[in-house]
Amino acid sequence: MPSEATKSLKYVKLGYQYIVNNFLTLLLIPIALAVAPQIPHGIILNKIWSFLHMDLLVILSSVFLIIIIATVYFMSKPRSIYLVDYTCYKPPVTCRVPFSTFMEHSRLNLKDNPKSVEFQMRILERSGLGEETCLPPAIHFIPPMPTMEAARSEAEEVIFSTIDALMTKTGIKPKDIDILIVNCSLFSPTPSLSAMVVNKYKLRSNIKSFNLSGMGCSAGLISIDLARDLLQVHPGSNALVVSTEIITPNYYRGSERAMLLPNCLFRMGAAAILLSNKRRDSHRAKYKLVHVVRTHKGSDDKAYKCVYEQEDPQGKIGINLSKDLMVIAGEALKSNITTIGPLVLPASEQLLFLITLIGRKIFNPKWKPYIPDFKQAFEHFCIHAGGRAVIDELQKSLQLSAEHVEASRMTLHRFGNTSSSSLWYEMAYIEAKGRMKKGDRVWQIAFGSGFKCNSAVWKCNKTVKKCPEDSPWKDCIERYPVFIPEVVKL
Amino acid sequence: MELIMLAICIWTLLFSFYHFCKKRDQCCYLLHYECHKPSDDRKLNTELSGSIVARNLNLGHLEYKFMLRAIVNSGIGEDSYGPRNIIDGRENSHSLEDGILEMDEFFKDTLSQLFVKTKVSPKEIDLLVVNVSLLSCAPSLASRIINMYQMRDDVKSYNLSGMGCSASIISINIVSNFFKSHRNSMALVVTSESIAPNWYSGNDKSMMLTNCLFRSGGCTMLLTNKPAMKNRSKLQLKCLVRTHLGASDEAYTCGMQKEDSQGILGFYLDKNLPKTAKRAFTQNIAIIAKTCLSYTELLRYFVMKYSKKKATLNFKAGIDHFCMHPGGTAVIEEIRKGLGLNHEDVEPSKMSLHRFGNTSASSLWYVLGYMEAQKRMKKGDKLWMIGFGSGFKCNSCVWEVIRDLEDANVWEDVIKNEKEEVNPFMDRFSWINQDTYDPPPGSLFQKKM
Repeated sequence: MPSEATKSLKYVKLGYQYIVNNFLTLLLIPIALAVAPQIPHGIILNKIWSFLHMDLLVILSSVFLIIIIATVYFMSKPRSIYLVDYTCYKPPVTCRVPFSTFMEHSRLNLKDNPKSVEFQMRILERSGLGEETCLPPAIHFIPPMPTMEAARSEAEEVIFSTIDALMTKTGIKPKDIDILIVNCSLFSPTPSLSAMVVNKYKLRSNIKSFNLSGMGCSAGLISIDLARDLLQVHPGSNALVVSTEIITPNYYRGSERAMLLPNCLFRMGAAAILLSNKRRDSHRAKYKLVHVVRTHKGSDDKAYKCVYEQEDPQGKIGINLSKDLMVIAGEALKSNITTIGPLVLPASEQLLFLITLIGRKIFNPKWKPYIPDFKQAFEHFCIHAGGRAVIDELQKSLQLSAEHVEASRMTLHRFGNTSSSSLWYEMAYIEAKGRMKKGDRVWQIAFGSGFKCNSAVWKCNKTVKKCPEDSPWKDCIERYPVFIPEVVKL
Repeated sequence: MELIMLAICIWTLLFSFYHFCKKRDQCCYLLHYECHKPSDDRKLNTELSGSIVARNLNLGHLEYKFMLRAIVNSGIGEDSYGPRNIIDGRENSHSLEDGILEMDEFFKDTLSQLFVKTKVSPKEIDLLVVNVSLLSCAPSLASRIINMYQMRDDVKSYNLSGMGCSASIISINIVSNFFKSHRNSMALVVTSESIAPNWYSGNDKSMMLTNCLFRSGGCTMLLTNKPAMKNRSKLQLKCLVRTHLGASDEAYTCGMQKEDSQGILGFYLDKNLPKTAKRAFTQNIAIIAKTCLSYTELLRYFVMKYSKKKATLNFKAGIDHFCMHPGGTAVIEEIRKGLGLNHEDVEPSKMSLHRFGNTSASSLWYVLGYMEAQKRMKKGDKLWMIGFGSGFKCNSCVWEVIRDLEDANVWEDVIKNEKEEVNPFMDRFSWINQDTYDPPPGSLFQKKM
């Protein structure tokens, strides 16, 4: 019977994994059995005793050798980076854009282009977004009023409230922040957003601040990578990372279809993360950073042009998303997996992958490439909520179950595509659901223009027992997960 | 007992050797740098500058006079460069393409030369840092360079934006931090400013200064921490200090991009900017003096200070060359007085301002290029680079010259011709400095009226 066959295959697979992953331990058993009979005769004890009676010089030099090796080891070990805590921005209810509001505004703004309005409606129907996503106040005007003043005020509202919440939660004082990294892809005023944060919170004058811009939806992980490099060099420091995307100046006001897509997907959001390399924070930190892997496919022209800011024939600026986006995302993911796989996969999966690789190269190229089972390496997956298609594609290629991608889908539904901060909303979802236990490994994957695929691996340091008070999901987690139909008829 | 002492000595020796090797691998060497010299058809001479100013229909009589006065007193000469759209008359109808074209010309000019001269392939680059303050596009300029030069897919790239005129030192900061945790690496830093989409077409006087001062330019630098490349390198980074005065509201608002009362976007420069620069500079000096001045000088200073005599630090005791940001004649003069330097010490900055204008973050490298072209940099010399930027930041770093430098680079034509420093605007518009409302007949101003 087929179910019995699959059951037995399942046990065979389990057995194989157990043997390969614990190979060394299992190897010790026959050695122990070989050595055991000799113990009662005290031969080993005699040998140790005679060793201790040897020359003092030999003993001292071996002790010092051990001390040297230990010192070199501890000095060259990279510092542990802890994520003390993080907060996500919860937009006010007044900024909500239900489907009806969005379509009404669309009809009024694009009254000369009914075809474009219909296109936006079709996108919205299939987008996977819900009725509670938010756009900033300037975009609620008809027509939208994206002045620099309005963009700065959105930035202030979003960034300051997120950082305030983080400071209350972690108890950190502004004067204790040593490193500040702000990333916002499409809004970069001078002075920078990082200078704006320094001004508001009166941070120290020797702060190391950086403002990353133009780096797309994966910029949050790029900031984490930069923070990690800086924290390796500066002992006993705190780093504040702020990831956001300011929507106000980037709302496309033209009628080109390929450029209307971001209007339907991008929504307000921000996240503030506190990282530390202080040993005393290891007790209260929520997560520990294990790996950050960055892949850049910019050398391929198609990949470079697949998310491209340009002017339409009327001179209006918007972001053009190419039709090849999914294929390119798949390619970028493959490159990223090739690097991260050996770092995180258990030996059993790596062996299988190696065997199929050798088999394909030497024996028969027609063998199906083995896709490693990442569910062995991670308990939770945070896939950037770039759009429904991205999540579907990744679920298929990584062979994940609906529960694994639930955080991503629900974040897309409740908050929309908040660009670089979406990964943190997804982490918050998993915590709010009470699924985050100590020792759990989380894989955050994000894609961005350029084309980049970045991933970060975190290990949970402290079980999150109940939904945190300031979680953006606090008031709605009971309703989730919701069923998201393929098409929502508008 | 002797054995224990011997063991301790061996341990200390081994430990110091390990530490020395580690430190050696963490050093930041500047292998080469290339400044951008745009083509001659992009030169902004007196005639062209005057006509561009006259084209602005928003300017009233007083604003026009103010703008010309600013250009006359700016210290900028006949040969600085502007972006194509402004020269072609499209300063008010710029497109995203114009901004990117300006950057493309800069990348193609400098990066190709950089890779050829250093014989380094783009595939060897491990870290790319790009800083352009006033242009932010998707994909980022860093991705654009990766695409143009086919870099590896595990290259780490960072695109900084909005960080003002001192951003190139911030980029060097990222590189030096990276070198401390990654051995045998190569880093590429690309620094520039986008002038094309940032011409101010309004009539607010405090925002017009940027039109008069900022010019097109850029610089690309190749850095490494490979010990084997030390002998080929030009400079070694000794220390880097960053000071951020953003906590003070006055400092934060003294250089700001915003809309004027008519909704036109421009860059506002406050009257108090030189004062703020001095404050930031003082704080920065306090930290860097400890690291780069000799102990005898520091001792002398403290003795004089505690004996209540007038105490000034003599920076020439530890620094041989001063490379300061040519932000404008006022800023250069303020720093010169603050440091107690004479006019010869700030000559490179003044010459750079005259020849290339204020090219924002990359201007420090033009100043460095001038000193190198004049064959002033000898092995062992110490060079102090000081940059200011909106925020308000003062960033500075000290470099040590590894070998005698004599590459004329973009200053070749100036060195050859040895022109005397002349203010060309003064000839044509000298009447502007007089408080009279009667322009000479035939002048552009009269034509406008």
